[in-house]
Amino acid sequence: MRADRRFNLAGLGVFAALLLLWELYSRAGGVESYLPPPSAALKALTEPNVARALFGHLAGTLGRFLGGYLLAAALAVAAGVVLGYSRFAYSVSEVIIELLRPMPSVAIIPVAILCLGIGDAMMIAVTIYAAAWPILLNTIDGVRNLDRTLVDTGRTFGLGRVKILWQVALPAAAPYIATGLRVSLPIALILVTTSEMVAGVNGLGFFILDEERSLRPANMYAGIVVVALLGYALNRLFVAVEARALAWKRGLQAKGEA
Amino acid sequence: MRPSKISGFVALLAVVAAWELVARAGLVNPLLFPAMSKILASFLALLASGEIPAQIARSMERAAAGYFLAATVCIPLGVAMGLSERVYRALEVVVETLRPVPPPVVIPVAMLFLGIGDGMKIFVIFFSCAWPILLNTIDGVRNIDGLLVDTARTFGLARGRTILKVVLPAAAPQIMTGLRISLSITLILVVISEMIGSTDGIGYFILNAQRRLKVDQMYAGMIALALLGYILNQAFLFVSKRLLRGR
Repeated sequence: MRADRRFNLAGLGVFAALLLLWELYSRAGGVESYLPPPSAALKALTEPNVARALFGHLAGTLGRFLGGYLLAAALAVAAGVVLGYSRFAYSVSEVIIELLRPMPSVAIIPVAILCLGIGDAMMIAVTIYAAAWPILLNTIDGVRNLDRTLVDTGRTFGLGRVKILWQVALPAAAPYIATGLRVSLPIALILVTTSEMVAGVNGLGFFILDEERSLRPANMYAGIVVVALLGYALNRLFVAVEARALAWKRGLQAKGEA
Repeated sequence: MRPSKISGFVALLAVVAAWELVARAGLVNPLLFPAMSKILASFLALLASGEIPAQIARSMERAAAGYFLAATVCIPLGVAMGLSERVYRALEVVVETLRPVPPPVVIPVAMLFLGIGDGMKIFVIFFSCAWPILLNTIDGVRNIDGLLVDTARTFGLARGRTILKVVLPAAAPQIMTGLRISLSITLILVVISEMIGSTDGIGYFILNAQRRLKVDQMYAGMIALALLGYILNQAFLFVSKRLLRGR
């Protein structure tokens, strides 16, 4: 890759040209009901009442996302370590996992509505269910691929089973867990927005669908801009946290290779 | 059969039996958790009556159209972006702007343009499948050994033939990875779009069964969906093994 990657003039030019084309096309008239000019969406974004509403919906979506994603991470890593470490636990649950996994996770939404009603608990529950799979499977993989020497060394130094799990197995599986967490991030956002659309009373998913049904397309596009920014910001945040959390690993590998 | 598989099936039977007993004993609300035997009977009845096969067929039409559309657009585009730095940089900002949009929020936009018909669902599936296919194709083409392309040129292969005979086969494993990721995304998005704006399809069937409190039918639909996901994944593995043979 070249050094001048930072500033992509051609790319920005194409992007601006597309926006301009859209602006001109929709200003020419006749398409306001579904394709307002991008400037109208931007204007909606800066209107105080729309901005205030959007901020509230953003807070709702973000809260549900964090609740579902973090709980999924905690539960799936814990379960994954146990299933990866204990052959018995794995063989008992393997068939059940293989049966549940191929079902598209959104199909769980109707069940969650039945059991938990309409509200935050339902949305967080479906987010946990969907986001847990990649984390669980990657954690199991990571712990199973654990270098036996590491475990034996830990045992030689008198570490108990629990300490070996915490201080040896978990750090060694960390890169796998990170992969699972990265895959789960967009999945969690998909599940939060979907459940807000299917059975929500607030949140960005609800807002976007509601503005579409109320025939305010400019507000709808403003909502999509916000949700895209949220997705982008969460991804950047994840990459930054991952780089810091796994920095020790990279240093170790570099030393090992040298 | 491996002994570990056997204990797995025993565990599965135990779960099913426990469900049946708990439901029969009235320990759980039968409205939420009907007996497993009732769910399976309902599944078989819906299968025999043709209801479930018909709904799955509707969903599969949409899924296939969106999926193959994404593949036909994104593989050539990915090859172009992978081979030419110029094309890549021209489209980079547009791709990076659209990619973080969670696919379900595209549904309202598609409904504005296309109503709640098949076109809307096909577009939404196309949009969500496009990214894994595109990015994996770009990556696969970029990681090709430069020597391969140079050799082809030395032997006087024209550009079009080089792409067909050298670039595509070399990038095939990674393109298949993209296609595989997109396959599971397709199934998710067809269900979501049928839940939000549809009058048929398996996603609509499941949500509608819940709303009419035909809970056994809801679970039956979920069983059908899990089977469908499993079969599609196995079919994909079968096809991709044949395509990548000799590699």
